[in-house]
Amino acid sequence: MKKIVIDPITRIEGHLRAEVEVDEYGVVQEAYVSGQLFRGIETILQNRDPRDAGLLAGRICGVCTNSHFRGAVSSVEDAYGLSIPKSAEIIRDLMSMALFIQDHVVHFYHLHLLDFVDVVYALGADPKATSKEAHKYVKHPFRNSHEHYEAVLEKLNNFVKSGRLGPFSNGYWGHSAYKLTSEQNLLLLSHYLEALKFQTNISKAIAIFGGKTPHPQSIVVGGVTSVADMLNPQRLNDFIFIIKEAKDFIDRAYLPDMRLLVKAYKDEIKAGVGRANGNFLCVGGYPFDETTNLFESGVVYGHDFKNIEEFDEYKISEEVERAWYEKGAVCYTDLNDDGTLKTAKSDDKYSWIKAPRYDGKTMECGPLARVLVSYSKGNRLIKSFVNEFLEACEIELLDLSSTVGRNAARAIETSYICEYVFKLVSNLIQNVKYYDTQTWGAYKFAELKANAKGRAFLEVPRGVLSHFVEVEGQKISNYSVIAPTTWNATPKNYDGVRGAYEEALVGVKLADAKQPLEVLRVLHSFDPCIACAVHIVDTKGRELSSYKIKI
Amino acid sequence: MRIVVVGGGIAAAYLANRLKSEDPSLEVLILSEEPYAPYDRIHLCSLVNKSESLESISMPLDPTVRLELNQKITQIDPKRREVYSKNGLFRYDKLIIATGSLPVAPFDVSEIENAAIFRSAKDCYKIANAPLKSEFVMVGSGPIGLELLETLGNMPQVEKITLLVRGKHLYDKHLSIDAIALIGSKLREDGRLRISFEDEIVSYEQESGRITKLVTQKLEIEKPFLLFGIGIAPNIDPFRESLACEKGIVTNLFMQTSDENIYAVGECAEVEGFIAGHVKECTDEANIAVAHILGRDVKEFSRQITTDMLKTERFDLVDVRSPDFAAPYEKVLITSHADSRIDEYFTQGERLIRFVGINSNVDIGYVETVMREGSALDVNYLYQNRLVGERGRLICSCEHLYQKDLEDLVAENSIADFAEFGEYSHAGRVCGRCKKMVQDGIIAAQSLIDPTKPKLSKEEKAHQKEIEAIEAKVAKFNALHPQNGITSENFESALESLDIAKKELNSWVSMVTASMQLHPSFEDVVSKSLRVLNRVPIIWLELSDCSGNSEAFIKSTNPGLEELIFDYISLDYHELLMSSAGDASESALEAVMREQKGRFVLIVEGAVPLGMDGKYLRIGPKGETGLALLQKCAKDAALVIALGSCAYDGGVVAAAPNPTGAVGVAEALGRQDIINLPGCPTNPINIVGTLLSYLMFEELPKCDKFNRPLWAYEGRIHDNCERRGHYELGEFVKEWGDEGAAKGWCLFEMGCKGPYSNANCPTMKFNAGTSWPIQAGHGCMGCVEAGFFDKYANERKVEDEKDSD
Repeated sequence: MKKIVIDPITRIEGHLRAEVEVDEYGVVQEAYVSGQLFRGIETILQNRDPRDAGLLAGRICGVCTNSHFRGAVSSVEDAYGLSIPKSAEIIRDLMSMALFIQDHVVHFYHLHLLDFVDVVYALGADPKATSKEAHKYVKHPFRNSHEHYEAVLEKLNNFVKSGRLGPFSNGYWGHSAYKLTSEQNLLLLSHYLEALKFQTNISKAIAIFGGKTPHPQSIVVGGVTSVADMLNPQRLNDFIFIIKEAKDFIDRAYLPDMRLLVKAYKDEIKAGVGRANGNFLCVGGYPFDETTNLFESGVVYGHDFKNIEEFDEYKISEEVERAWYEKGAVCYTDLNDDGTLKTAKSDDKYSWIKAPRYDGKTMECGPLARVLVSYSKGNRLIKSFVNEFLEACEIELLDLSSTVGRNAARAIETSYICEYVFKLVSNLIQNVKYYDTQTWGAYKFAELKANAKGRAFLEVPRGVLSHFVEVEGQKISNYSVIAPTTWNATPKNYDGVRGAYEEALVGVKLADAKQPLEVLRVLHSFDPCIACAVHIVDTKGRELSSYKIKI
Repeated sequence: MRIVVVGGGIAAAYLANRLKSEDPSLEVLILSEEPYAPYDRIHLCSLVNKSESLESISMPLDPTVRLELNQKITQIDPKRREVYSKNGLFRYDKLIIATGSLPVAPFDVSEIENAAIFRSAKDCYKIANAPLKSEFVMVGSGPIGLELLETLGNMPQVEKITLLVRGKHLYDKHLSIDAIALIGSKLREDGRLRISFEDEIVSYEQESGRITKLVTQKLEIEKPFLLFGIGIAPNIDPFRESLACEKGIVTNLFMQTSDENIYAVGECAEVEGFIAGHVKECTDEANIAVAHILGRDVKEFSRQITTDMLKTERFDLVDVRSPDFAAPYEKVLITSHADSRIDEYFTQGERLIRFVGINSNVDIGYVETVMREGSALDVNYLYQNRLVGERGRLICSCEHLYQKDLEDLVAENSIADFAEFGEYSHAGRVCGRCKKMVQDGIIAAQSLIDPTKPKLSKEEKAHQKEIEAIEAKVAKFNALHPQNGITSENFESALESLDIAKKELNSWVSMVTASMQLHPSFEDVVSKSLRVLNRVPIIWLELSDCSGNSEAFIKSTNPGLEELIFDYISLDYHELLMSSAGDASESALEAVMREQKGRFVLIVEGAVPLGMDGKYLRIGPKGETGLALLQKCAKDAALVIALGSCAYDGGVVAAAPNPTGAVGVAEALGRQDIINLPGCPTNPINIVGTLLSYLMFEELPKCDKFNRPLWAYEGRIHDNCERRGHYELGEFVKEWGDEGAAKGWCLFEMGCKGPYSNANCPTMKFNAGTSWPIQAGHGCMGCVEAGFFDKYANERKVEDEKDSD
């Protein structure tokens, strides 16, 4: 057995380390992933005015930015039993939806693509052939003139010739796991560049109602503040046009690129490379009307899509047997002298990420879980999006549960959201049209309960986000967050059962132990966000709300 | 605040103007005992020979300053804060006395028609109207007397002049016999003048308001016109009762008298035994008093080197004096009868303490430097430079302007007259003694102006110069980074291969020049230097952070990230974007630090946790702590930028109770030279702009006391806010979503912290100018200020927060 240490895992948010043990064939037998930064945001949240939780908790993550802001405010609203006006809820949803689109595109092109695309190999591409290649995956490819590819090629050539590759230096170029042709590489790289512009543009949509992004500043307990923007037809119009442009890129570049990737890596997909244990969690949400949600809630065990259980929040528990906490406090047991994780014994602690379990089991959440659960539960809106993709690529639903499939699910979801976000805007316009312009549900803070408990469950780009708040004497007495990456990157417990990251890594074969590209690929497919994931558990060791916290 | 200034001279006018320019809301009143508005006494001589009118020498005065004339002050009452004149009572909050000095005459001449002291405009008119063919008797041979003599020389009424000298000296008792002889012989070149040394008035006969006969120890003079140009004394009589006085009104080093609300400035004030005698000293004192009254940063008064000049038709005298000048001294004398030139160097040990030059051409700037620095005197050098040099005669001793300098200025800038000349040099305007010479010099130099040369305004000239300087810096930058291996041809092809529209680049350039408050003519320079930025390596560390600043950075527009990384910066290490990971990224980092030692820019995002020996954050294959990694990278960085609020002071991570002992980058490194760009997150405009300014100018941008670049963090958000008008009108949002919220009223009542925060958010906005928190109706949470999560990040007014604690 040989141990491979990868730290830092780059192209993610935060400080993540992975250690994998490979056998003589280079096949991963065991894996440990570890969050390497602790900030203690929950501790900082204590003793503060509950109305301030949003601005502070928003800083949990600058990538998921809006998600924690909203999660914190929603949990406080839940504690006080405040209901918020319809238009305010839609504005919050619009900001969330725009974040989904932005986040997924940035993830695929800027944080993940270089695991599949060999920048140096792209230099040998023929621009005309590239243009032809693009037509295989969509009728009207995005910016597909061969002159354009020539320009990109020349630009890359100049860049490589300069000898200073900046962010592309020291990549595993030439690695045997890179399977795409030169033309395919160039096609995707050209979209890497386009996507840089894309993410800048789509961010404006968030800023229209959020004031700015990252870290928008327009959500308050009881509603939103951007009422003037809502009442300004030009602002709504701007929002619509930004999404329209985004949809164009999604349909003509992102989704086709995913079809290309799935076809190129179909063997791996069929072999289930990067598949976790098949437990999926989704809390659903984003209603359009009384009966239809964007996503369904439900729990899947072991890829059994036929028997989907209803989500029951009381089945969630948080454990810290192998995380650096004990009795609600930090309990850092350090690394080994050579800087590796202490993992020899089954009770060695090795991560700042705590261990959430659903009914005692490790779960995977995220776009893949949402797509699988919503589709399997017969959500009528998502059905055609999934079917079309599976048919075009000639794969089955189960195949999505793999490294490349996880990305495909993310792309399907993006295109699906892009379609239905217009329906949300239209609902907002209807409200304003009929003079329902209320954006804040009035309350007098002094008259609210002095002691209260609340929670919020939200589907955010990376999966299920939950915030729990406890208020005593109008001050926060306890705060707890379980973020999507907390679920997916969980450490083991004494039982040694792996979380999604670790399980997905086992069985992956490395061509070259010195260039662990395959490991990066698996981890990146989850879109890790470590700043989000690291959370201390209830510091007083008490039961928070009604959730079992075993310490 | 109401400030009353007593006095009618240069000091009074200067004080009033200075007060008004510092704070226009002040109420300023001048009380002058004269019937005329303040005028420049330096030019009184011009009134005598009628070359100037009183109007032409009056001092410019801020129009909002109130002026009360004919107010001879009789008394002040510091307790009631009142000033009394013969005909009025004036209340004050602060009083500044600037009554100057009075010549000391042996008897009262105010009622005598043919006798005058030399102090006021009235005296000058008296002299100017002297009967024809009078014999003028001048008492006193000091600088004032000699200057007046020069004036009298040109008057037709004067038939004879007798200079009565009590001792044996002219100008100053420290002058050498040679110098006195030279001055004497020069004065006597005017045939009408005689000098009577060791002589003084014994008696005089008076008849109906006129002196008919004057008897001195040596002479008897019939029908004289008697002039006193002798010693002066502080004019402080009305204040003796209420304020501590010695020779003058005693003040501390901030010009404050024994009453804290009363200041004294100029020749009437005695600061630590010293009484000012020069314009420069008076204005220094005035500045100190004004700053002290307004509670600004203020230095204590200290005496400086003074330079005087006596200019006559027949000789020039320059007198440079150290505040330490006193006998005993040694003297080095360099004289030339042929040139009528004498240089006198007064020394103590090796130090020069005074210089007097008659028709000398020694560089006054050099003399002042030697005196100021106390460096040893090189007599050989002085000897070698005794002759009139290339720069010609000294014209203005205050501004060190020589004949040649004046001619060059006139020719180069096509200066037509004295008014225009003022834009280029203050010569003739500081003490004013050489004004005439400067005016004459400008007229004489008109022939040197090339009539075909286009005349540029001063601004145009200044910009031309600055642009030249910046182009030189850009060239220097190129020279300093030869490893770039990029030629101008490379740039062009690189630019051509970009499929970005040229327009886009230009719009960014315009934006940066505008936001850095550079003149539009810099655009060309900015765009040129952009093309050389590519090779500057950047290491971007993420420590205890949320990646918010990286996320913001990749959303930079004009240029977008694509342009940035392909063309302008070499983003060699940035965990969020780099393709390599683990060992490969580690070795990439080491390579940059090794190969680009001392050249790379280190950008740090996130706080530095110091608790638990820094182990709250471990990075890299060997599990280095964040602090260790930071120290390693910062050691050889050319510049360290702390990006975002966490890197500034720990930000949210260091908010109470700061569980991980987090601090900002500057504190973690114990360094004062870290550039801070706080914000949560920082606007990418400010990141890119700051990088650009560093790369272009090769020096750090000007920063405030928190080391935040002024160009981005100088303006207060409240002052530039789009909702400010509603604040002024008292239109406030009172609760979320109310009528005011829909109409975009002021958010102050909803806890907006714009009044406490300094940044360019209102003008730059976020996400390509889409919006900013105040536009989104929320208000500012002060994220650019230290400790904001414990002070400002809430929706309540600061005062209400304090009350509730």
